Amino acid sequence: MSARASNPEYVNARVRSRRAVLFADEDYRKLIRMGPSEIARFMEETEYEREINALGTRFSGVDLIEYALNRNLAKHFDDLLDWSEGRLYDLIGRYLRKFDVWNVKTIIRGIYTETPTEEVSTDLIRAGELPDSTLDRLLEVDEIDDVIEILGGTVFYEPLSEAYQEFEETGALVSLENALDREFYEHLLDDLGRPQEGPDALYVEFLEAEIDFLNARNALRLARSGADLDPAAYYIEGGVLFTQAELSRLVGNYDELVDHIADSGRYGDRLGGALARLREADSLIQFEHAMDAALLEYADTLSSIYPVSVSAVLSYILAKEREVENIRAIARGREVGLTEAEIEDELVIL
Amino acid sequence: MLEVSDLLATAVALQAENGGPILEPEAAAALGVGLAALASGYAERGIGAAAVGAIAEDRDMFVPGIVMTVLPETLVIFAIVVIFLV
Repeated sequence: MSARASNPEYVNARVRSRRAVLFADEDYRKLIRMGPSEIARFMEETEYEREINALGTRFSGVDLIEYALNRNLAKHFDDLLDWSEGRLYDLIGRYLRKFDVWNVKTIIRGIYTETPTEEVSTDLIRAGELPDSTLDRLLEVDEIDDVIEILGGTVFYEPLSEAYQEFEETGALVSLENALDREFYEHLLDDLGRPQEGPDALYVEFLEAEIDFLNARNALRLARSGADLDPAAYYIEGGVLFTQAELSRLVGNYDELVDHIADSGRYGDRLGGALARLREADSLIQFEHAMDAALLEYADTLSSIYPVSVSAVLSYILAKEREVENIRAIARGREVGLTEAEIEDELVIL
Repeated sequence: MLEVSDLLATAVALQAENGGPILEPEAAAALGVGLAALASGYAERGIGAAAVGAIAEDRDMFVPGIVMTVLPETLVIFAIVVIFLV
């Protein structure tokens, strides 16, 4: 933990100003009616201007939108780490490590499928803690164990080396990816304990909610797919909704699982509508979107309770990610010719 | 810090020997203004940081930023009133 004083006031002022320029609901409604090239033109008139212009000569259509979104996201999140100091840096950094996980996963997948380096490189979101130089070195290697070697000294080294043996036996990437995910989530709550009040308590509460939702999502997916996988392997510690034993038991019984989520005092009310829908329909996607929206709303409330703390920053990170995902969903949806109503179902709007 | 408090203690003792009050009214007022200035400086620290952040994002925030930053300065102005009262 960094000992320097942190500067939440400065970071908050900048984050709030950036939050104000995120797309509003009306913008999404406009975007839904546009084709990919129109969306790109629309984005050119907003804060994505620089990215669209930089990439416009090399890509077009949906690819252009996607890469511009990734680059813009990376720029903003890099800024967050640039601005913040001390403890604030620490708290933001450990959340943004999510993108390190994403990048390492992408690189490993690229090696596994023997995708050309440039293609993998455009898919990276250079926002996490790993410096660009490390990512570039990772892009150059051809073997997965070299990747693990380069990551020596980072938090990912140990879990990856352990998972690598399993990977060699089975040849499935799942073990490596799972190791990365677990490492990320289990480090999130490191040395924070369970504070009872103040901004830290909310930070912890929010992350617990995220872990809970992730566990619930994995459990629902497993329950739905009916695949014969060990749910314990996907369980992530740190949540409050499930214990490992509960999850293993509930996966087999879909209705009970939904009941368990509904009964928990913390989320039952928040997800009420989504749970009802989940019971009657069999749309898992709807439920996942409802969870995303609930998490976003959760983060929003957090940011107004302690205005000058890390929670406003977290709330911005989430909102920005959601925007990027929404625009991507619209662009992809238009590309494959979904109707407006179908695309609207895919969006997460509060 | 220790020397200062030693000095202060001697000054207080001397004053008491002369039969006067521990602090003259002017001295007390001066202390009051100083403390007020210190407090407003502390308050301005956070506001200033936030104002610079806002200005960095949007130049138009310059004037509101300055106005907000000096708001705690009113504390010192109230404290100066005390000087005229003693």
